[in-house]
Amino acid sequence: MDHATVVIIGGGATGIGILRDLSMRGIQAVLLEQGCIAAGASSRYHGLLHSGARYAVKDNDAARECIEENMVLRRIGSQCVEVSEGFFVLTDQDDPAFERPWVEACAKAGIKTEQIDVKEALRLEPNLSRSVKAVYRVPDSSVDGFRLIWHNALSARRYGGEMLTHHQVFAIEQEGGRVKGVHVLNTVTGQKSYISCNLLVNAAGSWSGNVAKMVGLDVAVQPDRGTLVAFNHRFTSRILNRLHKSSDGDIFVPHGSITILGTTSFHADRPDAHDVPTEDILKLLDIGEALIPDIRTYRILRAFAGTRPLYAGKSGGQGREVSRGFHIADHQEDGLEGMVSIFGGKFTTYRLMAEKLSDLVCKKLGVHAACRTAEEPLIEEPSAELLEKAKKYFPVHGVTLAANRLGAAFPIVVEKAAALSSNPLLCECEMVSRAEIEYVASDPSTTSMNDIRIRTRMGMGTCQGTFCSLRTIGALSECRIPFPTPPTESLHHFLQERWKGLRPAIWGIQAKEMELGRSVYAATLNIDGALNEQKN
Amino acid sequence: MSKKTDIIVVGSGLAGLTAALSARASGRQVLLITHGVGSLAVSSGCIDVLGYHNGCPVQDPIADLPQLNPEHPYSLAGAERVEKAIDWLQSLCLAGGLNMQKNLSRRNHELITVMGTLKPSYLCPESFCTECFAKARRAAVVSFENMKDVHPLLIIDQLHRYARFADMEFMEAMLPCPIDQSHRNVTPLDVARFVDTPEGLEWLRLSLEPYAKLYPILLMPPVLGVKNSQKVWGTLCDVLKVRIVEMVSIPPGVAGLRLREVLRNALNEAGITMIENALAVRAVADDKKCLSVVTSGAGGEHSWEASQFIIATGGILGGGVATSPGKAWETIFNIPIKAPENPQEWSSTEIFGRSFFSQMGVRVNADLKAIDDSGAVLYENVRFAGRTIGGYDYASEKSGHGTALVTGMLAGELAGKE
Ligand SMILES: Cc1cc2nc3c(=O)[nH]c(=O)nc-3n(C[C@H](O)[C@H](O)[C@H](O)COP(=O)(O)OP(=O)(O)OC[C@H]3O[C@@H](n4cnc5c(N)ncnc54)[C@H](O)[C@@H]3O)c2cc1C
Ligand SMILES: Cc1cc2nc3c(=O)[nH]c(=O)nc-3n(C[C@H](O)[C@H](O)[C@H](O)COP(=O)(O)OP(=O)(O)OC[C@H]3O[C@@H](n4cnc5c(N)ncnc54)[C@H](O)[C@@H]3O)c2cc1C
Repeated sequence: MDHATVVIIGGGATGIGILRDLSMRGIQAVLLEQGCIAAGASSRYHGLLHSGARYAVKDNDAARECIEENMVLRRIGSQCVEVSEGFFVLTDQDDPAFERPWVEACAKAGIKTEQIDVKEALRLEPNLSRSVKAVYRVPDSSVDGFRLIWHNALSARRYGGEMLTHHQVFAIEQEGGRVKGVHVLNTVTGQKSYISCNLLVNAAGSWSGNVAKMVGLDVAVQPDRGTLVAFNHRFTSRILNRLHKSSDGDIFVPHGSITILGTTSFHADRPDAHDVPTEDILKLLDIGEALIPDIRTYRILRAFAGTRPLYAGKSGGQGREVSRGFHIADHQEDGLEGMVSIFGGKFTTYRLMAEKLSDLVCKKLGVHAACRTAEEPLIEEPSAELLEKAKKYFPVHGVTLAANRLGAAFPIVVEKAAALSSNPLLCECEMVSRAEIEYVASDPSTTSMNDIRIRTRMGMGTCQGTFCSLRTIGALSECRIPFPTPPTESLHHFLQERWKGLRPAIWGIQAKEMELGRSVYAATLNIDGALNEQKN
Repeated sequence: MSKKTDIIVVGSGLAGLTAALSARASGRQVLLITHGVGSLAVSSGCIDVLGYHNGCPVQDPIADLPQLNPEHPYSLAGAERVEKAIDWLQSLCLAGGLNMQKNLSRRNHELITVMGTLKPSYLCPESFCTECFAKARRAAVVSFENMKDVHPLLIIDQLHRYARFADMEFMEAMLPCPIDQSHRNVTPLDVARFVDTPEGLEWLRLSLEPYAKLYPILLMPPVLGVKNSQKVWGTLCDVLKVRIVEMVSIPPGVAGLRLREVLRNALNEAGITMIENALAVRAVADDKKCLSVVTSGAGGEHSWEASQFIIATGGILGGGVATSPGKAWETIFNIPIKAPENPQEWSSTEIFGRSFFSQMGVRVNADLKAIDDSGAVLYENVRFAGRTIGGYDYASEKSGHGTALVTGMLAGELAGKE
């Protein structure tokens, strides 16, 4: 690869959305991502497909965008969206005066709300606090960020779009007031290369300010850190929001068998400020108690943080004061040709953001092609025949999970499973079978166990990798899929990643799991000793 | 309800079982109260004494003991006690039909794990010894279909990365699975239970036969039975004319259960009563003297009186130590464990690094009694043993069973002398 019509920087929701959109419009594009897919905010987030109700009062336009996109994503990405619903709950700590204007603002934005009897709400959500005052239904849903991005990438690929993970843009070449191309570092091999392009798209989320700096521009993108806590239980069937002015710790989002509580908002000085201070977790637990009084009895699976790419515009502002809307900059206005940037926004509106940016790209390139991303589903539904066939090789519940995860690749994995003498589940928590792991591991963009985890959810369940990681490494040796690092090192790296998410919440049941993990891998398998004793 | 005995031991991990046996040797009445099975159900069953000291490999653990810091349980017990405890366990096991062996040169064994890594250990069942590899340079690496934790090719690749095995010839031997073919994982314990039956043993013999004709060593997961592994191993080695080497495996802990079985039989023979499924929830003490421990179980609360108590309730995993944000304490006497207030400082950024977390436990003196910051004894008639004691990181040191055994035996002996 030495030339592309369009180079996109950033493999989060926004960048991948743009890659798919441009590819569908017939524009040759390549996306460069420094980490694995969704290394930034697009996986370090809450996974709430906003109805918009949260923003209705403060930013009615953003709220309208949310509800419209929410409905689009349910249609085009049904495998990635868990259609539940949301409750907005007025607790005894919330100001009742907020209720009316909120209901009106939702109506204005086109968000359907319905008040339900508190008794009925408690019947539907028995873990909800008994002292709640009012409850409304809204069309919130949850969305799997990794999966949505992966499906976008697969769709883009079908249209010729290319995605290179572990490729970091470290410099931008310009000549006579025009961007010519980008200098890229392969972060796995250490190799450097140059890709020329007609147009450069900066979709680097919280990093977009850094990218702009590479061409000497100063833009007001403010990384804002938010912490999230994942629990090992689904203690609510619906998304729970506090009915008040947006604040910390006021949303619970259930995903599959877990629940995520968040979040906080702190000014961050770096886009990769991903460390989680324990205070954040304790604060979230304190606040979360208002909705779920038993919150402390549930096991914390891990805590993580992401940075929001808040765009302060020319006016400035911080944290929750800043609009969640997005902004597109054509740097022609700054005297630089051949580069556009997209700032701010939300996961929920990634498709709309991509559409608007792609419109601009088309205009600049003189291409006349309409956006089709709102109509065409990301993947085709698997046929009934294929699902029937798959039942022979996957456990019953695992079929749908695998089909949803794999999207377009599902038929290939079913073939693979059929060819194996048996297709055991390597990750029992998330029901990931050997065929699926083999397929994902052999994808060129997979370079580590973490990449496998992100696509399959292997290691994201109850055991947090304690049991499935050894199995995965074993299966990879068995099918002779080479990794850049040998087994002991790969496993260590993987366990280390999981450890990071547990460290800030080291108490109670999580602490037991941590002692178990160290015991299995150090006391029994001596991974720590082997790291120094084995040769390559 | 109240019952009185001479010595009460709480916990039936390796520390509790050995404490009860050594206390009983004094002729006193011993009662063992336990909630669950403890680490033996998940661990390798090999007695690691000391594999690493400050991150450096230890060749001869007994010789290295004097260099440990003074707070280490081995230092408290005295280095000379370590070898004594090992010999005691070895003879106990031999009497129970399990031949545990030291390395021929009295250095650490290098055991082979199911990940193809080597692990230092001091005393292990004969079936785990790897010295045979010095003579024979060829081996078949055996596993079973659907045994997801044991992959011969991984083991072979990994072993080849050690100088000692670099030029060895290994061959993969995948045996059909004797247990049903669902998506369920088949563990070494499943197969071991089958091998405990006469038909299972015959099946294994037949399956191994072709490989035994080709290779002098068969390296396999610990599947040689739970009840009578020594005999199974001996028989198979004899009839197949091979040397079978078992690998150290992850939970469930087949070899740990074998050891537990032997110790439990010894307990029965010694006339020690064991009350299971009883969770000690608190102790009743009169100033510095413990009068009784109170358990809660299916039939409600019971109070158990004794003159001496040994607490061998394990660590965070075992239940002996509990934690909440920024706090840690021993669970029966509520003895506080001094912890950094900020949980962020509890652990090392590196998973296998040493930290407060990896070494937290009750502080004891050389008499194995809990002490406070000033060194004063908290309870005159209560001793602690095993992982409940702090001051060492068994996972990175490879000293888990060694410390449990040494402190268990010592606690029993000291209590028996009071
Ligand atoms: C705590 C938290 C909770 C949130 N919850 C929600 C929610 O529930 N619902 C919702 O809709 N939104 C939510 N958001 C907002 C949402 O996550 C983000 O707006 C969205 O994911 C941003 O996507 P993006 O693609 O623009 O940025 P990112 O996902 O951050 O992607 C940018 C990518 O660019 C890459 N990159 C940066 N520099 C370079 C370079 N030089 N070369 C190559 N690659 C580079 C980065 O590695 C990164 O992967 C939340 C955000 C946070 C922080
Ligand atoms: C997965 C794993 C693998 C390991 N591998 C090895 C290895 O290969 N080699 C090695 O040398 N070491 C290994 N170890 C470490 C070693 O097993 C332990 O350090 C050692 O066995 C601890 O023994 P213990 O008797 O002190 O505690 P435990 O074995 O934890 O026993 C504690 C006992 O106390 C009981 N108990 C706890 N609280 C109460 C209560 N309130 N009332 C009543 N009963 C109670 C428990 O039910 C249990 O029976 C491993 C540990 C684990 C967890």
